Amino acid sequence: MRFELFVAARYLRARRRQAVVGLITVISVVGVAAGVAALIIALAITNGMRRDLQQRLVGSTAHVQLMRTAGDGISHWRPLMARLAAVPHVTAVAPGLYGQVLISRGARSGGALIKGIVPADEATVGNLLQSVNEGSAAELAPNTSTVAAGSQLAPPLVIGHELALTLGAEVGDSLLVTSPQGELTPLGLVPRYQRFRVVGIFSSGFYQYDDGYAFMRLTDAQRLFSEPDLVSVISFKIDDLYKAEQVGKAIEAAAGPGFQTTNWMEQNRELFRAMKLEQDVTFIVLALIVVVAALNILIALTMMVMEKTRDIAVMMSFGVTAEQVRKIFLLQGLLISAVGTVLGLVLGYVVSIVGSHYRFIALDASVYSIDYLPFAPRLVDALVVAGVSLGMSLLATIYPSSSAASVLPAEALRYE
Amino acid sequence: MTPVLRAVALEKTYAPLAAGGVGLRLFEDLSLEVAAGEMVAVVGESGAGKSSLLHLLAALDRPTSGEVWCGETNVTRLNARQAGEYRNREIGYVWQFHYLLPEFTALENVAMPLLSRGARRGVALEEAARWLQRVGLGDRGEHRSGELSGGEQQRLSIARALITKPKLLLADEPTGDLDGATAERVFELLQELHRENALASVLVTHNLEFAGRCDRVLRLKAGRLAVA
Repeated sequence: MRFELFVAARYLRARRRQAVVGLITVISVVGVAAGVAALIIALAITNGMRRDLQQRLVGSTAHVQLMRTAGDGISHWRPLMARLAAVPHVTAVAPGLYGQVLISRGARSGGALIKGIVPADEATVGNLLQSVNEGSAAELAPNTSTVAAGSQLAPPLVIGHELALTLGAEVGDSLLVTSPQGELTPLGLVPRYQRFRVVGIFSSGFYQYDDGYAFMRLTDAQRLFSEPDLVSVISFKIDDLYKAEQVGKAIEAAAGPGFQTTNWMEQNRELFRAMKLEQDVTFIVLALIVVVAALNILIALTMMVMEKTRDIAVMMSFGVTAEQVRKIFLLQGLLISAVGTVLGLVLGYVVSIVGSHYRFIALDASVYSIDYLPFAPRLVDALVVAGVSLGMSLLATIYPSSSAASVLPAEALRYE
Repeated sequence: MTPVLRAVALEKTYAPLAAGGVGLRLFEDLSLEVAAGEMVAVVGESGAGKSSLLHLLAALDRPTSGEVWCGETNVTRLNARQAGEYRNREIGYVWQFHYLLPEFTALENVAMPLLSRGARRGVALEEAARWLQRVGLGDRGEHRSGELSGGEQQRLSIARALITKPKLLLADEPTGDLDGATAERVFELLQELHRENALASVLVTHNLEFAGRCDRVLRLKAGRLAVA
């Protein structure tokens, strides 16, 4: 292989008899480099966006949630929580009571999913309350007095930013929360309703949370939904995100029959599947640049073989075999591709690393929930992209190298 | 004495170019023997098939029938890889035109046959330098072929042909592209190297004066070789 590489490298460096062959070779190198760099940058951006989304999503919600299969609520939840906190990989546990409500302010109203929480526990499994940017979630703490200056204050409520816009609500406003789980009276089923006071507005960056979530104290939620000392879910934070499924199974086993778990991956499967599809499509589209570059390699090598027919015949006359000739041109193609791939990888990673460090591409945070374009270059992408680039180039060398190997020296030199 | 090269009843027929056309029979029952230390000149008119005969002897082409033997090896039965090895180890081939590889230096051109068989670069270049010295081009090792004169280029191609220490030297009009004085020097060099290395040499030439200085002169006519 040393001889073949020696000849191939020299042919690439040498000045061409036909300048156009040299030009196409340069275009091939640039094409491969551009394709590889575009792929690396695009993959770094999609990875960055996905990583950012995942971090915020996983930070906002619990990793695993336990609930009753029958949906009848968890009654003896305190001892159960204490027991489940000891399950391996579980780092935090929090109770929660979910209920669908209608929230209204004057003529304006909107549906919301209420979560009754114990703030100290909730903060250990999800950070939605940390994104309160108007008012404060402190009043949700159980020991906060709702009696001020001799008058009874309405219990506190924290709502999402979009919901606040829908209702036209601000911190301090009073909202009417109506639960469809009403009371049966002689007049029929009467919805339960209660006034709450907006003490905080959160903005998580996720429209589905900001538009449809509201937090209240667990005891207030139990009162509103007429579920004394009952919770609907127990939420868990675990030490390894990607073990959510197996930890969920361990929690189910520890909880006993009648319980089931769901995890963050299941809850967001469609979202991550869509992002993966988008990344795959991006990869295929940008890989077309590399295909075009590989076609250039095919053209450059074919022309080079035509130019070198006599030299091939001469080499064969002193014993170079057809297989060696094939390898010479195959290596030439791979060298062109390797140079382009290395240049592309360097360019792609420099742009990605600089972009990741200096955040020089600004985004509209109100649209993308993030104010810069995140780059997350990965080593595995370099391996895949380099593999694709070299693989396509290898395919492009098959015809010209076979054509070179099939030169008949006697024929080639007879007409010289 | 056992001949180094033996061609037995060679026949070479080229198929007609178009259906219904007439094929070309180039050789018919052509036989040749060349012993070690013997230089045989082959003369003949243009188109008689002199170069084609060398191609058959060098396994660059296959005869329609007949056999070529080099020592105990039936050259006509070799596959492509074996034929390459045969040319690399047993044959030195000199063409009318030098056919040097323009991308490589004089030293590298001469070392090429050794490099192609996997010799270490240092060893091959050292041997090439020795051969360059022998053909009087010791100081031109780093020059490209385009920087050398016609005679120098041909001397370089002779060094390339003989660096592998072959048994057989095939030279196809090696002086045909050179002026009189240069041709004389190149022919003298060929003769010296032929003697030094006890080669079996076949020299195709139009130059009857050079042919006359060979051990035997054969004329190729009507597909057969006859003593001239």
